[in-house]
Amino acid sequence: MMSTTVKNLRLFWQGTVLSYVALFAWLRPVTYMASKILMPLAQMFFFVFLGSYASGGKNQDFYVIGNAIQIASISGIFGVTMSVGGDRDAGTLPYLFGTPSNRFFIFFGRAFMHIIDGAIGVVIALTWGVLLMGLDLSRTNLSALGLTILITTFSTCGLGLLMGCLSLITANVMFVNNFVYFSLLVFSGANVEISVLPAWMQVISNVLPLTRGIASARALAAGASLHDVAPMLINEIGIGIIYGLFGYFLFAWFETQAKRNGTLETV
Amino acid sequence: MNYLNLFRYWRTVLVVAEMSIRMQFSDGFVLFAIVFQPMIIAILALFMLKDKGPDFAMFVVVGSGLTGLWSSLLFVSGNSINVERWIGTLESLVGAPTPFDVIVFGKNLANVFQSLLSMVTSYTLAAFLFGYSLSLTQPLLFFITLLLSLFAFICFGITIAPLFIMYRSVQQWQNAMEFPVYIMCGFLFPIALLPGWTTPLSYLLPPYWAALALHGTSTTMMPFDQIAFSWMMMILFSVMDLIIASQLFKIMLYKARVDATLEVD
Repeated sequence: MMSTTVKNLRLFWQGTVLSYVALFAWLRPVTYMASKILMPLAQMFFFVFLGSYASGGKNQDFYVIGNAIQIASISGIFGVTMSVGGDRDAGTLPYLFGTPSNRFFIFFGRAFMHIIDGAIGVVIALTWGVLLMGLDLSRTNLSALGLTILITTFSTCGLGLLMGCLSLITANVMFVNNFVYFSLLVFSGANVEISVLPAWMQVISNVLPLTRGIASARALAAGASLHDVAPMLINEIGIGIIYGLFGYFLFAWFETQAKRNGTLETV
Repeated sequence: MNYLNLFRYWRTVLVVAEMSIRMQFSDGFVLFAIVFQPMIIAILALFMLKDKGPDFAMFVVVGSGLTGLWSSLLFVSGNSINVERWIGTLESLVGAPTPFDVIVFGKNLANVFQSLLSMVTSYTLAAFLFGYSLSLTQPLLFFITLLLSLFAFICFGITIAPLFIMYRSVQQWQNAMEFPVYIMCGFLFPIALLPGWTTPLSYLLPPYWAALALHGTSTTMMPFDQIAFSWMMMILFSVMDLIIASQLFKIMLYKARVDATLEVD
């Protein structure tokens, strides 16, 4: 029993590190910086300036926090999807499905590094927000904010795992990823108050990751305590777990179907 | 680059443009860049700028359309030569009797014209889904500006395409170039919001002059002398782009035919 647990943990860790390294093996540091640091920051500045223009310079913190937290979804969606789907692109999927290894650890291992990577991205964005955009975090419980960032990144990685499974059965995965990523800018409340959205959009907002994470971060910046935002954070974790498990079951179903029908690499 | 070739091979230009459009409409990434991303930006901006007065919807239509034009220029036109390298047809095209620059021009023509879909999509969205009444303040001047803007974008496109294939270090920044241009060219908010030191940089970007004149002729009554100045700047930048592109094509073709290093990463 102990030996199986150790093996699975080792599998989880190796899968975690190798999938992350493999994903970025083709990247040079400059490309990484351009794609993972400058692009998200430029996007954040664009929406912050747009928000400032809309509100006449008031309420800038609303946009800085919303867009900084939304950056978590770059790692959560693009990173995780590419880690899961990368096996198909690299031709290693048949070998992966041929191993007797525990699928649960293989699957969730693909997301782990992206949680850390995404959280670092959010911290960088918030730092720029403080330095360049005058974001005021003087009343913020920083450790609670850190926990919020980690939980939000975790929940977006849950969505990313589901999207990663879709990447195994569709050729247009970048279209789907981009669509989901940009839709989060509308539905998550990063730029528009959820209460302003039409009722049907609010329903969608409530079942997506990020929504509660962004709301929690804003509440914390306004001086709320961890206790105040705990219910939202628990829901955010729950949403991440649901998406992740849904992705896992889809992954398992895909493997069964692909083996049964011989369609492993036909998409 | 011999620009007389564009007239001599006008049929080739049109056939290349048609082929490019057919191929790109089956590419999910291109469709996202020219239709869905500007549409999502338009939805956001329509929600965010709704208190900005009666003309804001047209402002959003034009601004979000410009984001589609720029994204298409950056990713599709920018990679219009690279994509031939990726699919292994670059040598054949360089070796063909048809001048290579004619082919690249045709591809850019298609890219820029198809990205007008961004503006059409945003217009449809604002008019039919959000129910706004949309009208242009100076329709004739707007359409002249639009034509000049498209020409300026095409010229910019044929400059960055050889740049991206020859200097990979420049292409590495491609992902990071999208939003800064949205910001610095005032697509959806005035550049007056930005720090003063960025203003000269905005003046150096052809899309800034396109955005200035397109907004000025669609949502406000911009005086004609200011519109004419923007036109002049777009023409000036287009001529400069064509001269730079001409030199870049010479270097690129030399690398392809003499050095044989074009395919080397």
